[in-house]
Amino acid sequence: MHELSLARSLIDQILALAQEHQAKKIINVTVIIGPFSGIVTDSFCFGFEALKREQKPTREAALTLETPSPEYCCLQCGKTFTGRNSQTMPSRSFSADRPCPACGSEHCTTRGGDELILKQLEME
Amino acid sequence: MCNTCGCQLTDTSDTRIVEVNKNLLEANNRQGEANRNHIERMGAVAINLISSPGAGKTSLLEHTIDALGTEMRIGVIEGDIETERDADRIRAKGVAAVQLTTGGACHLDAPLVHKGLHALEDQANSNRETAGGKKYDLIFIENVGNLVCPATFYLGEHKRVILVSVPEGSDKPAKYPTTFHGADLFVITKTDLLDYFDFSLDEADREARRIQPGLEIMHLSATTGDGFQSWLDWLRRLVA
Repeated sequence: MHELSLARSLIDQILALAQEHQAKKIINVTVIIGPFSGIVTDSFCFGFEALKREQKPTREAALTLETPSPEYCCLQCGKTFTGRNSQTMPSRSFSADRPCPACGSEHCTTRGGDELILKQLEME
Repeated sequence: MCNTCGCQLTDTSDTRIVEVNKNLLEANNRQGEANRNHIERMGAVAINLISSPGAGKTSLLEHTIDALGTEMRIGVIEGDIETERDADRIRAKGVAAVQLTTGGACHLDAPLVHKGLHALEDQANSNRETAGGKKYDLIFIENVGNLVCPATFYLGEHKRVILVSVPEGSDKPAKYPTTFHGADLFVITKTDLLDYFDFSLDEADREARRIQPGLEIMHLSATTGDGFQSWLDWLRRLVA
């Protein structure tokens, strides 16, 4: 449910940037949502679609999401490896979908992946 | 100007790409940093207390105030969707408390806590003993009861403490990993009820440490006092 407040802060940031760059219209917004950010992408998109209509510059903006693959780190041998990038968000698993490829240990933890970043704006 | 021929006409199809690369939570995080400075100016360290509704956050605070109220100055910011009930419980213990009601929002954010800190400082200023100099030693920010959303919002706290009570079940760390990912301390509460519920301390500890290896964990019952001493010692070390 906090996705709505995050979508709100995204819109606020976009509007400030549009003003700064004297743009009349935002065409596309690219956002990176890390696999362990705790953000439900569907809810986030829903919030964005609802809120963008409130302001003229964002009314027709499209939202592009980049969802990087989850990365894990083996607690046994220290090897880092990439998990499957499941398109079935919300919940990307905190448990690796396979044992450590180097030593076979099941004891793996997540590495990074909590980012939530406004990457790029296309405007005119 | 038109880029193709320099004809002085305004190019109407002037689309630009701006690389931003800013954290979406930047505004919240900036306010969080300001809160942290404010907390430190008051002489305090702050704890963000996160759990589901009914895990015993307020009860833990009541018992903590009973035990530490004479050795340190404690202030409490209570987050709830509605009512002053929790703040009233804390005030009954003779400690400064501010109630923040979110009016529906499922978490506290840094701008709201900013208001709470000012209200807490006003209370210290109106008290002759704390009017000058150090206002508080320890500030608890009791978040809205929710094991999901509060995890995303930095409030300016020095430490983040997650509570899970025995009746909730030992699967909570596995089911709500994001929250445990950012924790500094995990406290399992109501351990006096272990005999009556199918709760495995081993499972809870193991799952929490799988998400965050090295996470500090405590088991306690505020009712019987079991394990309570390590919690108090942890707080004393934090304030010292």
